[in-house]
Amino acid sequence: MSIETAYEWLYGCMILFLVILAGVMLFRAIIGPRVTDRIMSVNMLGTLVVSCIAVASQLLQELWLLDVAMIYTMISFISVLILATMYIPRNRKMQMPEGKEKQNVTRKTNKDRR
Amino acid sequence: MRKMTLEWIRFWITAVCFFGAAAAFLAEVAGVWRFGYVMNRMHAAGIGDTLGIFLISLGLAVSAFSFADILKLVLMVFFLWLSSPTCTHFLGQVEYFTNRKAMKEIPVRKISDTSETEQNSERKEEKKEDES
Repeated sequence: MSIETAYEWLYGCMILFLVILAGVMLFRAIIGPRVTDRIMSVNMLGTLVVSCIAVASQLLQELWLLDVAMIYTMISFISVLILATMYIPRNRKMQMPEGKEKQNVTRKTNKDRR
Repeated sequence: MRKMTLEWIRFWITAVCFFGAAAAFLAEVAGVWRFGYVMNRMHAAGIGDTLGIFLISLGLAVSAFSFADILKLVLMVFFLWLSSPTCTHFLGQVEYFTNRKAMKEIPVRKISDTSETEQNSERKEEKKEDES
């Protein structure tokens, strides 16, 4: 086997593996019970796609695909950031959990610690 | 002949890096499916964002053609290593502010002066309350 064929097989198998994992993560994003699960899945999907593009750039011997991967990294970061900030309330008061009395107890002990 | 051997050594270094990256990504995805709560899932998601992308870039840098190639890979990893913890931080904030039951899932709030067995019994009581 020549070395070019070996590299092609290696890159091809890696891309296939990453695509399968991306499909699994997409499924997680669909069934994720809460909104944070979905945002996290999108973040991981971005990572997988970036690595996929980077491997593809070597497989196709196209240098400019690495630029696309770099830009994709930033865009994925910004998308997750915007999605997350939409759900964070403006006045950052502490959310009261369901049992009010227990919350009071924990607050007291926190003050004592300080 | 000697050059060919060096090429094959380079190939095997790349292959080992790729196997490591594949293992990291597999651990990431398996962790996300196995863990039950998003705070635990974030921990698993961090593996692929850091180790997986680093090993992939290392493997590609070993088999790269030019210096510009390696520079772009390094920049990519740099951006991802900066952005991934920030994303996780914001996700934690979102979970904290939107989930009313979040404080029950995070055991940090446990009182320090109670013994461990008492804490466990408290947790069991809470779980029973939730179930009922």
